[in-house]
Formats: sequence, C-alpha cells, structure tokens
Amino acid sequence: MKINPKLKQDLKSFLMEKIQKEQNRVLVLSADKLDIDERKLLEKKFSDLNWKDSVYQIDKSVIAGIIIKVGSKTIDLSLTGSLSKLSNTLYEID
Amino acid sequence: MENLGIDGKLLLAQMINFVLFFILVKQFIVKPFTSFLNQERKNEEEKNRMLEKLKRSEEAGIEAEVKMKEKMKKEFDVLFVQAKKEAQGMKADLIKQAEADALEIKAKNSKLLEEEKNLLYREVKDKIIKTSLMIVENTLKDSLDESSRKKVTGAIIKNYQGRLKIYEN
Repeated sequence: MKINPKLKQDLKSFLMEKIQKEQNRVLVLSADKLDIDERKLLEKKFSDLNWKDSVYQIDKSVIAGIIIKVGSKTIDLSLTGSLSKLSNTLYEID
Repeated sequence: MENLGIDGKLLLAQMINFVLFFILVKQFIVKPFTSFLNQERKNEEEKNRMLEKLKRSEEAGIEAEVKMKEKMKKEFDVLFVQAKKEAQGMKADLIKQAEADALEIKAKNSKLLEEEKNLLYREVKDKIIKTSLMIVENTLKDSLDESSRKKVTGAIIKNYQGRLKIYEN
C-alpha cells in the first residue's frame, strides 16, 4: 500500500511539532497543590523555561518540595531526591 | 752232590719245573694281574684328576659367584645411592610444590575471605542505608502535615539558587 507523500509529510510535521511541544512542556510534581505565589516564584526562578504549557501534578511520593521535568531533563528539589542523594553519598563512603 | 743227598736229575727237573712254573705264572697270572693293577691305578688317577678338576671348577664357580655377588653389591650400592639422591631430589621438589600449593591456597582463601568480608560489609551497609532511609522517609511522611509540607516546599523554592544538577533521562 502506497501512502500519499503529502499526507506522509503532514503527519511527519504534526508528529515533530507534537514531540517538540512535549519536549518543551514543563511538568511540575509536588506533594500538595502549589498556590499562585509559589508558581510565580517558581517561574521567576526558572525563567529560562517555557511555562506557557506547564502542567502541575500532585505526587505524594515527593514528600515535600518539587520535581520539575522538561522533556528528558529533571530538576529534583524534593525531599525524596535529597534522601536519594544522601543514599548515594552514603554508598560512596567506604 | 749224591753225598749231600741231592738228586741232580730231580733238581734239574724241579728247576725246569720252577722255570716253567715261573714262566706260566708270569705269563698268565702276574702279567694280567699287573695289567689289571695298572689299569686300576690309571682309573684311580683319572678319577682323582677328574675330582680335582671338578673341585677346581667348583671353587672357580664359588669364586665367580662371590665376585658376581660383590659386583652386584657394588652395583646395588651405586644404584641405591643414586636412587636415594633421586628420592631426596623428588622429596625436595614435592616439599617445594606442596609449600607453593599451600601458599597459593592460603592466598586464595585470604582473597575469598576478603571478598566475603567486603560482600558482607556491602550487604550490611546496603541494609543499614535502606532501613535508615525508609525510617526517615516514613517518619517524614507521618510527621509532616500539609502546612509543614507547604512550608518546606516554599522554603525550597525560595532558597533555590540555581546550583542544582539537572538530570538527563
């Protein structure tokens, strides 16, 4: 079965655009809902990120603090992350 | 001679008789007997010679046997010394090999012991870290209420200086 080249190109463009959007989309995970002031402060602190299509989700495993995910990048400012870092430090100590 | 009472004829006859007797005895008795005696003597001498020869041969045999025994003893001594030397060499080699093996086994055991020790240390450390973190995590989850969590979150965002590591997934 032959696919129309124009349709193929359109599909490709659509997917690329979607992937690009997904990659630039900011996802913030926190244990509780962040209020407006906190969100504003966060956007100010991370001004280089594109907050236009940002998504805020609640994740109880974070305990406290936040985790910011942008595409394949993760900025971990949570207590879980701190504990994980502490665990790694303890493993590195002989 | 008649006055002496000797009869000449009789005497002659007796003399002839004696001569004849002498000749006959000599011819038919003394000669074979002498011959027989000579033969016997010769046989005896031959027998003695043979005995002597046999004796000498026996002595030579004994002497050869003694010599052979001495030679064998010497060869045995040489071989014994040689075998003793070889055995001592082998013994030394075996001891050396056994010592090397023992050292190798000891080193291997030490290494194994060290590895087991390290493994046990890592396992215990892993368990301690996991348990400690679990206790801390559970304690934080149980002790932090919503307002405390919000305070912590606010403080984290406020105090962030942009020095955090960004992880690539």
